[in-house]
Amino acid sequence: MLSLCANASAPEDAATTRALVASLGRPAPARTPFAEARFMKMLDKPLVVSGQLAWLGEDRLERSVEHPNREVSTIANGEVTQQREGRSTRSFSLKRAPQLQLLLDSFVALLGGDASRLEQAFVVEHHADGGGHWTLTLTPRDAKLAQTVSRIDIDGSGNEPHCMRMQEADGDVAIDLLGAYAAKMPDAPTRDALASLCGGG
Amino acid sequence: MRRPGRVTLLVLWLAALALLGVFVVKHLTVSTDLRSFMPAPTTPDQRLLMEQVGEGPGSRLLLLAIAGKSDEQLANLSQQLSAALRKDARYSQVLNGSFDIGELDDALLPYRYLLSPTLDHQRLDAAYLRDQLEQRLDDLSSPAASLLKGLLPRDPTLEVLKLAERWSPPKSPEVVQGVWFSPEHEALLLVLTRAPGFDPDAQADAIDGIHRAFDALPDHAGASVVVSGPGYFSVVANAQTRGQAEWIGRISTVGFIVLLLLAYRSIGSLLFSALPIASAALAGIAALIALFPQVHGITLAFGFTLLGVAQEYPIRVLSHRRADESAVQSVRDLWPLLLTAIASACIAYLAFFASGVNGLRQLAVFTVTGLLVAGFSTRYLLPYLLPTRVHDVAGMGWLVRARRIVDHLPRPRWIPALVAVATVLMLAFAQGLFWQNDLSALTPLPRDLLMRDARLREALGAPDVRYLLVLQAADAQGVLALSERMEPALDALVARHAVDAVELPSRYLPSEAVQRARQQALPARPALDAALEQAEQGMPFQPGLFKPFVDDVQKARELPLLTPQRFASSPLGQRLSGMLAQRDGHWLGLGTLSGVHDVDALQALARDSGGAVRLLDLKSAAESLVVDYRTRILHALLGATVLLVVAIVVALRSFRRAWHVLAPMTLATFLVLAVERVAGVEVSLFHLVALILAAGLGLHYALFFERDTGDAAEQRRTLHATLVCVLSALLVFGMLAWSTIPVLRAIGLTVSLGVAFHFCLSILMAPHARQD
Repeated sequence: MLSLCANASAPEDAATTRALVASLGRPAPARTPFAEARFMKMLDKPLVVSGQLAWLGEDRLERSVEHPNREVSTIANGEVTQQREGRSTRSFSLKRAPQLQLLLDSFVALLGGDASRLEQAFVVEHHADGGGHWTLTLTPRDAKLAQTVSRIDIDGSGNEPHCMRMQEADGDVAIDLLGAYAAKMPDAPTRDALASLCGGG
Repeated sequence: MRRPGRVTLLVLWLAALALLGVFVVKHLTVSTDLRSFMPAPTTPDQRLLMEQVGEGPGSRLLLLAIAGKSDEQLANLSQQLSAALRKDARYSQVLNGSFDIGELDDALLPYRYLLSPTLDHQRLDAAYLRDQLEQRLDDLSSPAASLLKGLLPRDPTLEVLKLAERWSPPKSPEVVQGVWFSPEHEALLLVLTRAPGFDPDAQADAIDGIHRAFDALPDHAGASVVVSGPGYFSVVANAQTRGQAEWIGRISTVGFIVLLLLAYRSIGSLLFSALPIASAALAGIAALIALFPQVHGITLAFGFTLLGVAQEYPIRVLSHRRADESAVQSVRDLWPLLLTAIASACIAYLAFFASGVNGLRQLAVFTVTGLLVAGFSTRYLLPYLLPTRVHDVAGMGWLVRARRIVDHLPRPRWIPALVAVATVLMLAFAQGLFWQNDLSALTPLPRDLLMRDARLREALGAPDVRYLLVLQAADAQGVLALSERMEPALDALVARHAVDAVELPSRYLPSEAVQRARQQALPARPALDAALEQAEQGMPFQPGLFKPFVDDVQKARELPLLTPQRFASSPLGQRLSGMLAQRDGHWLGLGTLSGVHDVDALQALARDSGGAVRLLDLKSAAESLVVDYRTRILHALLGATVLLVVAIVVALRSFRRAWHVLAPMTLATFLVLAVERVAGVEVSLFHLVALILAAGLGLHYALFFERDTGDAAEQRRTLHATLVCVLSALLVFGMLAWSTIPVLRAIGLTVSLGVAFHFCLSILMAPHARQD
């Protein structure tokens, strides 16, 4: 609510946010390498995977993991389908995986350069430092979704997003390094190391 | 009787009727379960059919489709509707494609190790756990993470999901947005009602509950829910029949009143003549209440129709009155004949009692009581109320002319022979099946409803309502074990596409032997701890994370085995209860089949089982039931006919006179049958009932025409009374013959034809008219 007021009171900021989101748009299909570190309470070290994220247009997203094990997940028509080598395909409803719903909303809006879609799903805050680095903070508007994912931070510079941090309500966090940054994933990542990497370090 | 006496009698009669009315209103419980109109089943298959028809899962299943909005909105509505219906006691199971772990409540959750087949070919050792944990790590870094995160500490091998998969319907529709969808973009749901499928009132209540729940959803505007299934059909058929019967009934009642006013030109006579019929109806219902715990709705509907015969009694009294004669005197003159008529109608209706079918017995009690009350009140009460001075119908100009025409009709002796030969020829050469064995043909449903049902059934993979697999064993455990043994053979049939899917009781609950084997395969705490520790080596899981898992396994090791009784407390257990039944000292398990393509293959499977497994064809069982039913009614009719002949001979004290009464009646009855057969009508039970009613009416015509009074005026009065009776019957039943519903049409057409034939043949074959 507070951020809404802040946005409303700074129309230039809202306009620059829109301009920024519009500049992030790519024609579908858009692919980008990613490396993800997931910090979870039930694990004593983060899970790291890497591969490719692809926006196939509309609400279709494909996440192919190449390391450590091959796995392709597809989101389409409200369904998530997971294919893993040597295993039977598993599929479930997007409804049962709220994180994915948010990932889809934010990703599709960003790659589509669609600021209004982004604002529909999230309260958007935009911070920029003088050096061209920016952070978009997305807070889910849907109260139920916010109970699982409290916020998503996207860092980048120019028209390139570098990092996407998904903060879950239970304290778990998933940090995705995107594009050229994907190669920068440390062997043993820590939250702090990744935060400073994403923070433009 | 003088005026004060008449008033007193009228007041007393009305008071008695009012008291009877109060008694009836207070004590009448109407049942709508169609099964009480079916004969008591004799074979095991028929018995099973009767249960399945009412309570089998197939007949209690409602198919729902929500349409009219976007997939996402429909999915939301589907979730909300199923949540609302699950809270409602009228529904025992609601499925919409989303698996709810809540279906297995917390107390039952440790049972997953006994219910899931995992332990049949796996042990919870280090190697298996290691493989499972590696997969879970992959899961955690996959999009499914949020889905599984909560489950993991308690269920690292995901037994709950394996059970969910096992328990979801064998041939599930496509899942979109987490719920079932049809190819036509409707959200689909399956609802199992607690009410029996063929109790239209209870089903109407259940269906109404669904619509109310749907209309109460916040976002339902713009979307609509349609319901299908056997229960819905029984509601539609019931409403259709009732609607048309009421509409036709109203028109014919008005026509009937106009006819009587024209015939007797006295409102007083009309009102008084209604009293015996009202008394008959109320006394009939009161007798039913006294003898049966519940009165069937159909008994009342048919009963009122059959009581139509009783309307003749007051009509005869009104028509036969002479201007100079008191009503009491004219009734006295008529009484011997009237008594014969009453007795013969009662004998005919008693045939229903001998049928042994509960609904028909009620019908017999109702009509016989009604006829007796109508007859005796016409004799002993009505004449004292009628106006002292009346208009003698014998003097009416048109009636004199009509009687003259009737008397001068040529009556060659060969007419009965000709009619008989024609009847025999028509019966012999009629095409098509003689008997209609398919009860459902009599309450046909609109084609679009049936097509919609077929489409939803196909989309939902809902079980076939025709075939059932029946497993028999000494006890419930025997049935479950047999069901387990059958699984491989049936899976093979599914693979061969002989059948799309089979749902056996063992799918929900393994036998105790299997559960015990799985329980014994569960490791003790130290062994499991060690295996887990070894498996976790080098993995990032926090120490102690899987303690809930270890606890559940220990609990599962000590649990009493899950019996159907213990399982019954959960929704899934109720599903199982519907598939297990105790019968005459042994137990039956019911396997439902979806999409049967190769009946022979299933029959071969049943043959090879040596009698333990049977394929039950509900349709042929139902038909055999109808055939039994008809045989009983025909036997009862035969008995009634013999009684009737004896009664008429005794009453008329002459074989020759009895012949003159019975011959036209018999001939006309067979003529109706012959004409209907030539017209391509397949004879059903309702036709038989209608034939009996028509024969009862025809018997009256013949009795009165046969009466030789030697008095031309009296002959005219007889003609008048008969004409009024014939016209009123034609009016009421002729209207029914126009109905679009085959049951009503069957009754209407048969009685109308019967009345016409009986009238013509009674006149043409009346003995003394020839001697005039």
